[in-house]
Amino acid sequence: MRDPVTLAVVASPDMHARLLSTLHAALPRVGVLDPGIFACDLAGTEELLGAPGRVARRVLARCVRAGAQVSVGIAPTPFVARVVAERTPSGEVRAVDDGRAFLAPLPLDVLPVDEKVREELRLLGLRIVGDFAELPRGEVFDRFGSAVARAHALARGEFGDMVRATAPPRRIRARRIWDDAIVSHEQLVFALRVVVDEISASLARDGLAALRLELRIDREDAGPLRIERTVLPPTRESTALLRSLRWALEERAEVGLVTGCVLEVPEVEAARGRQIGLFAPDGARQEEAIASARYLRAKLGRGVVLRARVADPDARLPERASEWMEVIA
Amino acid sequence: MANALRGATVGETGLAGAIAHIEGRFGVHALARGETSERRRGEIVIATKTSLDRVIGGGLAAGEPLAFVGPPSVGKLSLALRAVAGAQAQGGMAAWIDPTASFDPLAAERAGIDLERVMVVRAPRDAVALATASALRSEGFRLVVVDAGEQVFGGTDVDDLAPALPAVRGSPAALLVIAAKRGRRVAVPAVVFERVAWERRFDRTVGWSFSVGSARGESHIDRRAIFSLTLDGGFEGGEAPIDRAEVAV
Repeated sequence: MRDPVTLAVVASPDMHARLLSTLHAALPRVGVLDPGIFACDLAGTEELLGAPGRVARRVLARCVRAGAQVSVGIAPTPFVARVVAERTPSGEVRAVDDGRAFLAPLPLDVLPVDEKVREELRLLGLRIVGDFAELPRGEVFDRFGSAVARAHALARGEFGDMVRATAPPRRIRARRIWDDAIVSHEQLVFALRVVVDEISASLARDGLAALRLELRIDREDAGPLRIERTVLPPTRESTALLRSLRWALEERAEVGLVTGCVLEVPEVEAARGRQIGLFAPDGARQEEAIASARYLRAKLGRGVVLRARVADPDARLPERASEWMEVIA
Repeated sequence: MANALRGATVGETGLAGAIAHIEGRFGVHALARGETSERRRGEIVIATKTSLDRVIGGGLAAGEPLAFVGPPSVGKLSLALRAVAGAQAQGGMAAWIDPTASFDPLAAERAGIDLERVMVVRAPRDAVALATASALRSEGFRLVVVDAGEQVFGGTDVDDLAPALPAVRGSPAALLVIAAKRGRRVAVPAVVFERVAWERRFDRTVGWSFSVGSARGESHIDRRAIFSLTLDGGFEGGEAPIDRAEVAV
């Protein structure tokens, strides 16, 4: 059994995004408790990363380099580590071995309970966390319910709140520079195929599908052209991704003299399983047909892309014999 | 890093330029994507299972355009519906571009079409090429039919489809255009429809025969098939040689 060790980092909420990427770069399991407050699970990392104290100092130095003023707390549970970090001056590291002893003298305000419950506890004569922790757990549960019983466990430093780590964001990006400027749509689409293939391979490696594409086209005769596409349904297939970009390019009469491009996938989702088309003939891919229908619907409006159904073959009026429905509702 | 990227992509630009040059000089049909040209012909041909297949050389081929040309009411639409049914028989889907909103679901169903697998696009005249090109570029369709219709009713003509024709090559779909006349500016392979006889009962036309020929010029027809269309599926015969084909109306 690994000894639980949690490192909490507290900083200004303004620095949240920057600190999150800094911590993701330094530590394996990073969870977000609140904006600007992070809990990092260090259990089992001592051989690889070193003692928690050293890790904390390294993290502190990285955060300072990133331009953030942070305080770091080390404790057995995320809750205690957070309280420790919040009570540590900025730029310092403090480690606590016994969470219950650390919390005992602190006021009830540190516990995550409603103000109403806190007031009730004060009326019962409880002033500090230690008093509350002394109460029998069963009676706390019977009287106040599960939420307060959980706070009671936290007060005893017992409840090993899980660090819910998030996957570090990964940039899926491909870039090309062309010596000779590309002047036509067809050439550009052809050249983009290589870039899209690279993105597709990258998505396939991680089991992801692209939900959004951002293409920046560098031009010799004008500023960069930025194109954003939403890919529905999300896919990693290069044909579908390239088609989406081709449609976007076709909406522009001229693209200018293109000298390079950067294609990025800012939003992904897990690739969903689908039937392998072992026996599917060409021209029977429904999702591709739906993608076309969606495009035409967006371009031409309602009442254009339709599917028919025979409602009453014996109807006396021809218009009642069939019904028309939108392919894309 | 930039140098490495440059080095890796010089060939791509050169190839794109070469392709553009060849297509500019010899036309967009001069080159085809590898996976299309490497398919066996049996995989890319849509058989209508009528005598039309003999006339057009086995069936409608994916990645190739074909036009049914002839005056109104000579059976173009009926054979086109058979072609859609043929495409669906191979498991494919079809797109029917219909600027005049004249697609008849009842006739389609009688011709054996699964309406669930037909997408009808009532594109206005100026958007027919766009709709056609996007259907051809999709990998969702086996056959794209453009029913040009009559211009007085908002229809289009073969020449208006010129922007979409580059998309045919390399597409998994065949393009079938139904039009009254051939294009004047674009050359789409065409079969010509002619009415040769009709049957009247009780002062009402109940069927007619028409011939389909693959025409190299306006007058020379080298292969011909004769079809009979009647309300009850009967066949009245005609001048020999006749290749009878059952076409439901």
